Amino acid sequence: MQTFILALYVLIWPLISLAIFAVIGIATVKDIRVAKREKRELV
Amino acid sequence: MNEENFYQFSTVTVLALLVFFYGGTYLLTLLIKKKKENTDAFMVSNHQIGFGLGAASMTATWIWAASFYGAATSGYTYGISGPLHYGLWGALMILFIYPFGRRFRKLAPNAHTLGELIHARHGSSSQLILASSNILGSIISLMVNFTASGALVSVLSPLSFQAGVVIAGVGVLCYTLWSGFRASVLTDFAQLMAMMAVAILIIPAVMFALGGPQTLADGMSFLTPEQANLFSMDAILNQGAPFFVAVLAYAIGNQTISQRLFAVREDHIKPTFITATIGYGAIVIGLGMIGLMALMTGMEPINGDMNNLIPQMVSMYLSPVFIALFFILVIGSLSSTADSDLSAMSAIVMADVYGKNIAKNKPDPTKMLLIGRLTMIVATLIGVILASFSMDILIMLVFVGALWGAIVFPVIASCFWDRVTNTAFTSAVIAGLVMFCVARFELQPLVGVVGGLFELLAAVGGGVVLGLMAFGFCGRRVGLVFGALCAIALAYFSLGFLRDYTVLLASLMAYGVSTIVCIAISLMSSSKFDFSQIDQKVINYDPAKPANQS
Repeated sequence: MQTFILALYVLIWPLISLAIFAVIGIATVKDIRVAKREKRELV
Repeated sequence: MNEENFYQFSTVTVLALLVFFYGGTYLLTLLIKKKKENTDAFMVSNHQIGFGLGAASMTATWIWAASFYGAATSGYTYGISGPLHYGLWGALMILFIYPFGRRFRKLAPNAHTLGELIHARHGSSSQLILASSNILGSIISLMVNFTASGALVSVLSPLSFQAGVVIAGVGVLCYTLWSGFRASVLTDFAQLMAMMAVAILIIPAVMFALGGPQTLADGMSFLTPEQANLFSMDAILNQGAPFFVAVLAYAIGNQTISQRLFAVREDHIKPTFITATIGYGAIVIGLGMIGLMALMTGMEPINGDMNNLIPQMVSMYLSPVFIALFFILVIGSLSSTADSDLSAMSAIVMADVYGKNIAKNKPDPTKMLLIGRLTMIVATLIGVILASFSMDILIMLVFVGALWGAIVFPVIASCFWDRVTNTAFTSAVIAGLVMFCVARFELQPLVGVVGGLFELLAAVGGGVVLGLMAFGFCGRRVGLVFGALCAIALAYFSLGFLRDYTVLLASLMAYGVSTIVCIAISLMSSSKFDFSQIDQKVINYDPAKPANQS
């Protein structure tokens, strides 16, 4: 049990990072589309 | 440094990695480069940044090279709870700034710096206190990041420390100089994506290279009872609490954060801050786990230098490909913070110094841009020189920390309470700074009545920090009651005890004293400020208004 908890404690952070990676990536693609649609620059 | 213990890249390989990173980043900025930039875009991208880029930029800026080394050191020193006490508080600070940030944005939707808002509220003296603290902070940050580059290059290759410093300085300046903040935001996105990808790979790679979860369970025997305790008081008092106090000041006092706050589209502020909070926490705590794993395997840092922990672990357990990825991770983190510092300093000199105080709100946009770019060049030179000669900046660091602690309450109160005056703001900051120095350098021995009085002032400071956080999310009444209760509880527990933790005592005193002075002087004045004046005084500098912001 302790082994599982320790592994989870270490590995949960890269998993959360992966989720945020996806959120930011998808949101940025949407940003690019909105900027194109509104005919303005991305930044 | 015993370089035999680290993997060594050849000069050609390390130069190729640096050219790949900085060359790629520069090419990326060519996508947005315009022959004629405008000042509002140069400083805040016309307040039009979307959620994805905003969250990426906020996260990348908040993560600097010291984040990895600090989190790993904390994990190695304090055990299980160490990485949390480094990463969690830093992450929560991003979240705690959010309610105040919304207020800043509501008061001054066209602002480029927090100093402009304070100028409209109080005038030049308060604004310049804020601006100078920001510039000092960014210079320190630049120096630390360039130093990290020099250290990394000298440890992992035959190149010298100075070569690493200069390459980072020139590389960052090259891609930031022309488009300013716009380049910083766009490259932050790419750098953060790279950093996250590397962190996602490296953390499990190290764990499984060590032998997997069973090795960690076996490694628990290396931990002291305090290190094995998730609620270690040692970790809270020596790492968590001082860090918690310091990062609140950092978040309010740092232009890199407020610049992004003013740049993100107003309807995207909330998701941007929440995503950046989680992203920062996950990456930094995760990399802190490498320090914990080093502790659990009984590894000793070379020469006792904690900054060697992560490079040592990566060199010992991973293949050269992962070491190259780690190299890019550190260069990416320090570059993203350094370009934000350059953009922040240029905006401060452009808006706070030139726009408000020299051109009196009627600046020449062309001259303003030139001033911004010259500021970047000068700041890079100063950062490279300070880093190259490894100058001792401890006094500057302590001073800036105190200044930031002392300005937190006056800045926030000025944006919510109409009775705060310029005299109250300035006196509060000076009083907080002076009392910080008295406590920090023990100019008065911390014994007897003096020690007790200082502990009471620090308890007030603790109440202020916690009360401000409650106020941000739950409103004035809850904030006041919670802050007062916390101050009373802290006074009870800290009397005769907190004097042994001088850094924490002095930091809290800066908050407490500045708050007491600010409130006392404000109450002596009967004048009331009309907050609607701020929006009229804080303007866009370019003749054409930006595109619709809805």
